[in-house]
Amino acid sequence: MIDPLPPKPVPRRQRLRRGRDRLATALITAGGIGVVVAVMAIGVFLALEVVPLFLAEDPQVSWRGLWLPQPIEGHELPQHRWQPDTLTAEESPRYGMAPLVWGTLKAAFWALLFAVPLALGAAVHSATFMSRRLRTRLKPTLELMEALPGVVIGFVAGLVLAPWVERHLAGAFSLVAVLPLGMLLAGLLWSRLPASLAQRLPPGWAGLWLMPWLALLVILSLWLSPWLEARVFGGDLRGWLEAALGLDYASRNALIVGLAMGFAVIPGIYALAEDALSGVPPSLGEGAQALGATRWQTLWKVVLPAAGPGIFSAVMIGAGRAVGETMIVLMASGNTALMTLSPLEGMRSMAASIAIELPEAAPGGTHYRLLFLAALLLFVFTFLVNTLAELVRMRLRHRYRRLGRGA
Amino acid sequence: MIPGRTRAITWLGALLLALAAMTAVAEEAAEEVAGTLGAVGSDTLAGLMLRWGERLGERHPGIRLQLQASGSASAPAALIAGTTRLGPMSRPMTGEEREAFVARYGYPPLELEIARDALVVVVHRHNPLESLRLTELDAIFSDTRRCGAESAIDRWSQLGVTLPGDRIVLHGRNVASGTHGLFRRDALCGGHFRLRLNEHPGSAAAVAAVAAEPSAIGYAGLNHLTASVKAVARRDAAGRLHRPGPETVRSGDYPLARDLYLYVNLPPGGRLPGPEQAFIDLVLSPEGQEIVEEIGFVRLSEAVRERQRARLAAGPPAG
Repeated sequence: MIDPLPPKPVPRRQRLRRGRDRLATALITAGGIGVVVAVMAIGVFLALEVVPLFLAEDPQVSWRGLWLPQPIEGHELPQHRWQPDTLTAEESPRYGMAPLVWGTLKAAFWALLFAVPLALGAAVHSATFMSRRLRTRLKPTLELMEALPGVVIGFVAGLVLAPWVERHLAGAFSLVAVLPLGMLLAGLLWSRLPASLAQRLPPGWAGLWLMPWLALLVILSLWLSPWLEARVFGGDLRGWLEAALGLDYASRNALIVGLAMGFAVIPGIYALAEDALSGVPPSLGEGAQALGATRWQTLWKVVLPAAGPGIFSAVMIGAGRAVGETMIVLMASGNTALMTLSPLEGMRSMAASIAIELPEAAPGGTHYRLLFLAALLLFVFTFLVNTLAELVRMRLRHRYRRLGRGA
Repeated sequence: MIPGRTRAITWLGALLLALAAMTAVAEEAAEEVAGTLGAVGSDTLAGLMLRWGERLGERHPGIRLQLQASGSASAPAALIAGTTRLGPMSRPMTGEEREAFVARYGYPPLELEIARDALVVVVHRHNPLESLRLTELDAIFSDTRRCGAESAIDRWSQLGVTLPGDRIVLHGRNVASGTHGLFRRDALCGGHFRLRLNEHPGSAAAVAAVAAEPSAIGYAGLNHLTASVKAVARRDAAGRLHRPGPETVRSGDYPLARDLYLYVNLPPGGRLPGPEQAFIDLVLSPEGQEIVEEIGFVRLSEAVRERQRARLAAGPPAG
């Protein structure tokens, strides 16, 4: 007869472990639901703060007044104005939200115009051409860039960069023109190099050996720009801009904001786009190259189309960040509630208005609720953009899985 | 300083408790007032209130000040809600705010002047401009020209000043701040600013912006003047100059001056709790007014202080 097995301690331990697992699962689920509820609650809270604005039939607020130009003393045509303060009871505040929305979009546009080509270029280069060693150094550097607080970037942009650009306007413009052209020229020259020299300068290390070339370009354009300004623009580029193009130059303008905010947005776009590119199943690229495609053809015809949705969602998330960014716009834009197309003039964004004015607005008043309306608009916009980006990314992941299996 | 982040709830507790421990032995405990003193309001006045709180802690080790400085508009709200009895404000209460207070308590808040401040028009330190008339100031800054100027002034050459960048760049405080409103009332004759005014969230930022730009002009509170900018005097119709300074601000000779207020919730015939009373005594004492000057504001004259004490003794006016 077989001895009955002694009672083992295992089931008890198992039960304990199962209990622990269940507890952990419950906690994690609760955490996840909690976050979703918190996000929803923010939206509901903002909406509740805004609703009385339209229920109370406030004579100062109407949809027309908020979004359409209104007649203003001293002006022939109706104007958009955001002038929410009043000195006397007779004076009526001007609540035109259009300049704030315009300023938000304008700042985001110039930031993306600056950041998207740089970030995507960097992502493509580092995912396909760059040497592995350099890449492992580059990523932490870009992460460090992302960790810089917006206040610091805004402070430097507003108090150092803006006055410098104003004093060296011709130099700054020539840099903007010379640097991209100089990079193209470098590529052209490189392709003409004798093979022995080209081997010494591998494209994988272009990030390093282009540095002296870039430094040379910067020095040259800064050194030559005063001469150029004197010859072409009569020594006063600012005056020329005003006289010839009718552009009024403000030292804190959309270009400065775009540059500073672009700097803040680049790391995020880069990281997501690089993920999308290096996530393309290698079998695809290898197949293309096996059929005789060059690296460049592989990139354009195979890798980029495959990673396209991921790159799109990277740009969308960058746009979301640029629209919601507060401190950079607040400190670098001058907060002028203008509605102009000119990149040389300032703007005022919704986020900056909320940060500046909310502490001064009487709680529950019209101004206070309008600032909440701006917050609600920002919330809805970033919510939509991020959701869209996430949906696109999910579809992409699905596609990669299919492609990877098919190969 | 960045509003929104300035919601600095500051506890002096640790420091004061240490001081209390050191001095408690020496003091007679019999007449000692103690307790926590709350104040909610202006962020312009935050530095001054904190210094007063510190000094009060030295006088009466049992008292500590809890200050919440999130803007003048927060003072009436906190007074009405009853979370504080003291509301420092850099502007007088509006009629609406006063009515809301009366509706809640049945008596108006007591208004005390605690210091004077002035707005100074500043230019870059290399700018040769010495003085401006009111109409010129209005023509530079405003869209409306209510002070009677014929035409707008956009260029330094219109003022007879030669600068490398001829176009005038405007810097100032953000809309809805007390400083912004005061400048509109007194320098723009109630008109509106030009749209291209660069609005900064603090006087220090506006001064820094003017200091960095040779063709700039701006305005800021007197206590934010630095050596990197030059203060511009006001020239009156007779050609006399009024320079900003403690003397001219106190006497009212310099026109862009304002009072800074402390609003007190004091029922008629009632008395303030000990800590609040001690705080106001300090504020209106010569010692308290010395701190006003150290911070960079302008102290009150003895006559004005006497008037405040009388107002406090009489309690709030009826209605």
